[in-house]
Amino acid sequence: MSGGLAVGQQTAPAARRSRLSPMTYALIALGALLVLSAVRVITGAGDLTSTGSVQAALTAAVPIAMAALAGLWAERAGVINIGLEGMMVLGTFGAGYAGYQWGPWAGVVFGLLLGVLGGLLHAVATVTFGVDHIISGVAINLLAPGAALFLSKQFFADAAGGGQKQSPRIQDAEKVSVPGLPDLLGSIEDKRWFFVSDLAGILRGLTTQVSLLTVLAAVLIAGSAFVLWKTPLGLRLRSCGEAPVAAESLGVNVYKYKYLAVTASGAFAGLGGAILAVTSGQFRDGQTGGRGFIGLAAMIFGNWRPGGLATGAGLFGYTDALALRGSLAVHALLLLLAIALVVVAVWQYREGAPVLSAVSAAIGVLFAWWYFTSDGIPPELVGAAPYVVTILVLALASQRLRAPRAVGEVYRRGEGK
Amino acid sequence: MSTEPPGGEPALAVELTGITKRFPGVVANSDVNIAVRPGTVHALVGENGAGKSTLMKILYGMQRPDEGAIAVNGSPVDFHSPADAIRAGIGMVHQHFMLADNLTVLENVVLGDEPRGGLGLDFAAARRRIREISEAYGLGVRPDRLVDELGVGERQRVEILKVLYRGARILILDEPTAVLVPQEVDELFGNLRDLKAEGLTILFISHKLDEVLSVADDITVMRRGTTVASVAPEETTARKLAELMVGSALPVPELRESTVTDRPVLTVANLTLADADGRKVLDDISFTIHAGEVLGIAGVEGNGQAELVEALMGIRKPDSGSVHLAGEDISRLSTRARRESGMGYIPEDRHRQGVLLEATLWENRVLGHQSRRPSARGPLIDRRSARADTQRIVETYDVRTPGIDVHASALSGGNQQKLIVGREMSGNPVVLIASHPTRGVDVGAQAAIWDHIRRARAEHLAVLLISADLDELIGMSDTLAVILRGRLVADYDPGTVTPQDLGSAMTGAGRDAE
Repeated sequence: MSGGLAVGQQTAPAARRSRLSPMTYALIALGALLVLSAVRVITGAGDLTSTGSVQAALTAAVPIAMAALAGLWAERAGVINIGLEGMMVLGTFGAGYAGYQWGPWAGVVFGLLLGVLGGLLHAVATVTFGVDHIISGVAINLLAPGAALFLSKQFFADAAGGGQKQSPRIQDAEKVSVPGLPDLLGSIEDKRWFFVSDLAGILRGLTTQVSLLTVLAAVLIAGSAFVLWKTPLGLRLRSCGEAPVAAESLGVNVYKYKYLAVTASGAFAGLGGAILAVTSGQFRDGQTGGRGFIGLAAMIFGNWRPGGLATGAGLFGYTDALALRGSLAVHALLLLLAIALVVVAVWQYREGAPVLSAVSAAIGVLFAWWYFTSDGIPPELVGAAPYVVTILVLALASQRLRAPRAVGEVYRRGEGK
Repeated sequence: MSTEPPGGEPALAVELTGITKRFPGVVANSDVNIAVRPGTVHALVGENGAGKSTLMKILYGMQRPDEGAIAVNGSPVDFHSPADAIRAGIGMVHQHFMLADNLTVLENVVLGDEPRGGLGLDFAAARRRIREISEAYGLGVRPDRLVDELGVGERQRVEILKVLYRGARILILDEPTAVLVPQEVDELFGNLRDLKAEGLTILFISHKLDEVLSVADDITVMRRGTTVASVAPEETTARKLAELMVGSALPVPELRESTVTDRPVLTVANLTLADADGRKVLDDISFTIHAGEVLGIAGVEGNGQAELVEALMGIRKPDSGSVHLAGEDISRLSTRARRESGMGYIPEDRHRQGVLLEATLWENRVLGHQSRRPSARGPLIDRRSARADTQRIVETYDVRTPGIDVHASALSGGNQQKLIVGREMSGNPVVLIASHPTRGVDVGAQAAIWDHIRRARAEHLAVLLISADLDELIGMSDTLAVILRGRLVADYDPGTVTPQDLGSAMTGAGRDAE
């Protein structure tokens, strides 16, 4: 009662976080490109920067990016959506079902709608009934493939060109090129100059025969960035993931925004699955192959931001594409990875994490040693390359990430302090 | 919304009549009546658990009263949600800040009431508006900083700005000074006077009476869920207010005749402990506590008290130095072995260290005694005798509880603390380490805990008392020492020392007093 003495309880304000400027990002990209060109020249693996590789990378990245975007919407509103994989499966089936009958765009819309159903299910479980987010997500991941397989047997077994586990062919979506550019860039790429040809190859990959679905994905990522960070709706949605009780105290209907976010999340995941099915020409059982989870990883790697998750998805898409290109490209990837790890090691050392730095350096040296003492990669390991890269990059580069404060917490109205 | 009906007394800003609110098993408010004049600072004082916060939640629409009426500016209102209250011009600054750390000040302020422009949020307009309000009331809030980067005082000003942004003319501040250091309290009071000068009405909840007396125009006292008095600050004193809050004369911490013997029980020699950065948090600490002696340690929080206690209990390993218990070296013993050899420990944070909130009382009784009778028999917990002994503690130590099978979270802080004291006094301890034993408990429990410490002393325990309450330290100690930056810097005789002496020694200002 007598108050005592309350001196010196000041909490030190957190150090100001440095946000990198666009210029810095540009320089980092330039540096990465220089390294890539150098590695291409050293290894002679032309596929590292070829138009074909970039196109394949883009195709592989888009479904992952959509899954990551789906994760972003849900987690920014505080709901962990580990059910992305299941919702993507629903999307692939939806695209297969509608796609072979009424064309690719109908497939995309139908896949998206099935994803919405999955999202609603997750929302009902986690938001209304307060089920643990992981449990609900796992349930969806178990439920969706079974449902898709069952429906596939129902609808595709007797369809022409279909089977028990796959749909008939779906026509691919339209592709567009930037007029004039491809030929010009193509002639530069063929010169095989250091850096210039590499840049031309990558640009050509990004501007030639680009699927409208890829354009749609890019628009959605940019649109999400705008909606989530520049509109009242986005602010409210994010506040539900950061401090739901505070949001409630300001009259924000937390349930509503969580529902909206998780439903949108389902829509994006379904869309990702649908794009996957349409671009690969049909629905197949087990088609998603963990892309939902990789998307989640890309989102975390991207620090819960649209630009970051797009980068992460691009990275995964790129390694995926190289794995498809075969042993030589993956062998070159070893050297690339070794260099990347050494860069991470230097950076972590400067951040004051000597142990992490040493681990990165050691693994980096190991990869370099592997590269210089071998001529190729055993074919069994080629397919695993994307996953190895995923794990390494995630584990070593992602040390200062910040998840939404209240993510994964079950929120109930009126129970705040 | 005019506050002044033509040609009469200005309508009351807030009038609560006959408010009653029941929760399962408890009546949080019963027949509460408060009248708040517009343009004043009205303080609502009462002990923890007197129902202040429930009442304010009712006024802010977070909870609905079971009975009674609320009138704002003379007209009756019926709030279903905070949004209704906000619309009526009421804003609340919560005790636990309602801010999202990872959003900017601007985003936190406009959330839920965003200015729109074109497709998105009109950031320029929001920024302008925030700067205007900040300047008008001298709040010094910068809109584009991340809340994460702000100190406590700044966060509070953001909270105040948040309610002003919503056009609040009546502000509720729930224990606003609890988290502030004295300079920040002064700043806050300056802000409150500015707000009052602009004609705003402020409802100020507190139990710090000196502060209330210095800032309030009217004071309403609550006790056990109801309002017991309305007084003017110039007609009362802190002591009278405290007695109104408690409903009886205040307990005074004091010891009767000395029970100190010359038998050393706890001897600490040259204890030194460095933290991860190599900074010494305990620097060559030596002291002896005799049987029947209370050694009080005063110090500003964070000067090594917590580390000292943890080193004594074996939770942290000191870099050098020794601890002897009744002549035996216990420096190498584990925490459990130390407890078994007779050390009782009342930790400073009862929720983190003292009890398991989601466990029953008898299970909490077993904690720390899980290897000993009566809680255990061999390797198994002896449920029956543990329960019987819990019942004994509940009766002896006056723990107010519906039973020993309720969760500890169902008890008030004071009763949780009494249970901890009872537990630690079980098993015949020879040393009792009491770290902030009466922090955050009501006056009744405080008096009871003091009684138990006195009894422990009379039973010839050696007691180490650490507290931030200087009156408690002076009143309850046989010997007083001051800890500053990990060193024991001064000894005092509690019979002659004043809180002012202690205060200056604690901050290092009074080195000459040594």
